[in-house]
Amino acid sequence: MPTFPATTVDFFLAGLESFMVRSGQGRHWAVTALWLKGKPDAAALKEAWEQVHARHLMLGARLRRKWRGWRLVWESDGPLQAPPISWQALSGQADETTLIQERLRGFVFGQAIQKPLFLEVFGDAATGRHLVLLTWRHALMDGTGVNLLLEKLAAPSDASPPSVPEAPQESPALLYQRARPLMNRLHAMTRTGCRSAWSKGLPESGGAPEFQLIQLTDEQSSRAAEKLRQLCGEFFQMPFYAAVAVRALRTLHESRGWCSPEIHLHLPAQGRKRSQDLVFGGQFGTLPLFLESSALGTLDAAVAHVQQCYKDALKQGLPQASEALMALARQMPVRWFIPMVRLQNRGQICSLFHSHTGAFLPGRSDFAGAAVENVCTIPSVSTPPGLGLFFSDYAGKISATISWRSGSLTADEVAAVRASVSADLAG
Amino acid sequence: MPEAPITPDSVIELLTSEHILEPQEPIAPDTDLFTLGLDSMAMMQLLLQIEERFRLSVIPAEMTRDRFATAGALATFLDEKRRLAA
Repeated sequence: MPTFPATTVDFFLAGLESFMVRSGQGRHWAVTALWLKGKPDAAALKEAWEQVHARHLMLGARLRRKWRGWRLVWESDGPLQAPPISWQALSGQADETTLIQERLRGFVFGQAIQKPLFLEVFGDAATGRHLVLLTWRHALMDGTGVNLLLEKLAAPSDASPPSVPEAPQESPALLYQRARPLMNRLHAMTRTGCRSAWSKGLPESGGAPEFQLIQLTDEQSSRAAEKLRQLCGEFFQMPFYAAVAVRALRTLHESRGWCSPEIHLHLPAQGRKRSQDLVFGGQFGTLPLFLESSALGTLDAAVAHVQQCYKDALKQGLPQASEALMALARQMPVRWFIPMVRLQNRGQICSLFHSHTGAFLPGRSDFAGAAVENVCTIPSVSTPPGLGLFFSDYAGKISATISWRSGSLTADEVAAVRASVSADLAG
Repeated sequence: MPEAPITPDSVIELLTSEHILEPQEPIAPDTDLFTLGLDSMAMMQLLLQIEERFRLSVIPAEMTRDRFATAGALATFLDEKRRLAA
């Protein structure tokens, strides 16, 4: 039975999903949506889809403990049978939002999704446009992994052996030493009263996943890109999007009359050794930033503050501390890890998506032979934090996803968050 | 004493010794750094190291894709910036 080493972040994502399942929030699903100008080539897409399932044993793998050394591994039964690609007409079906919302809940037309990946193509007979929905389990992959997976689905390719993630092995004493700066910082955060969108009084079981998509027009995208260029340069997107996201959370706090002196922002950190084939296990940890709410008054000030905190976090070795903390936690049973997940998520607005790595599907203008109009990902979020903001940039078109749990935010609060994001991006 | 010029080799040495990029193949002066994984986190580490090693602060307006595309281009930009600042 083939096994693969589990990375520290595999354990974190598994712990997060376990927390969600145990608290009644369901599995951690995400949907990547591609809008195509024409019909994708069915044969090419089927071939690429089957190649992905044949080559990536991780798709059929489960996290298991080895008796020897209590080591966490992915255990696979072998290649997973590719589920059929579902082709449907868009007209007569529910609208795009309803379709995506049902998939974020783990269902497709009332049936629970049984596989970690599910691919559907919806054609609009009137316009010729097609919507491709890839529903994926976040416990198995991160956002950058999905980006690489889309590249593989975009066109069949010659066979090549897939890379497997690396799992660092260090003694618990060394890991504890490396993790200390972050543990101290997390304890300091709880003392300052850091808050997320979720709070005591709201049900931890959360409501169903909800989302709104903000798709900027070409003109708005150009304006946002110009702002980004002025504040962060041509390609250093992360501080800009992070500032937009934390300012939206600050707006929410203000509208509730809450005082949260700090805002805790988690950024996914990608492994430097990542190859183009490393669909799974490329994320090695998270970079936690602790932002002063009072320094987020304007977008310019917020960007400068994020950059300074980013710099300080690197100087303090927080990415290494985060990786060490996860590696340490990996040696515990998952249920012991859940309090840490809850603590980490407190005050956390979101883990940003593709903005930290750059553009989505860079350089690719077609998917299975059809021209790509736009692409973005809509992940579900857990409570806490109850709210996530995610940004995608495809060929200069910028999209933002507001993702929350029903009951975490009122309709007015969602509108306030949306207005804040829209104004900061393109106002 | 004048400082040593910033060369493509000194930029490559900085990128590898500080684990900013960890490619499987050696980095050449004309290797595209973005394809090697120069993402936001690597970029921030690079800016920090440029400040510490070369005592140069890069402002957003100077952060163009062309200047950071290769070790050669980055060395030329940094060396010129230091010469102008002297």
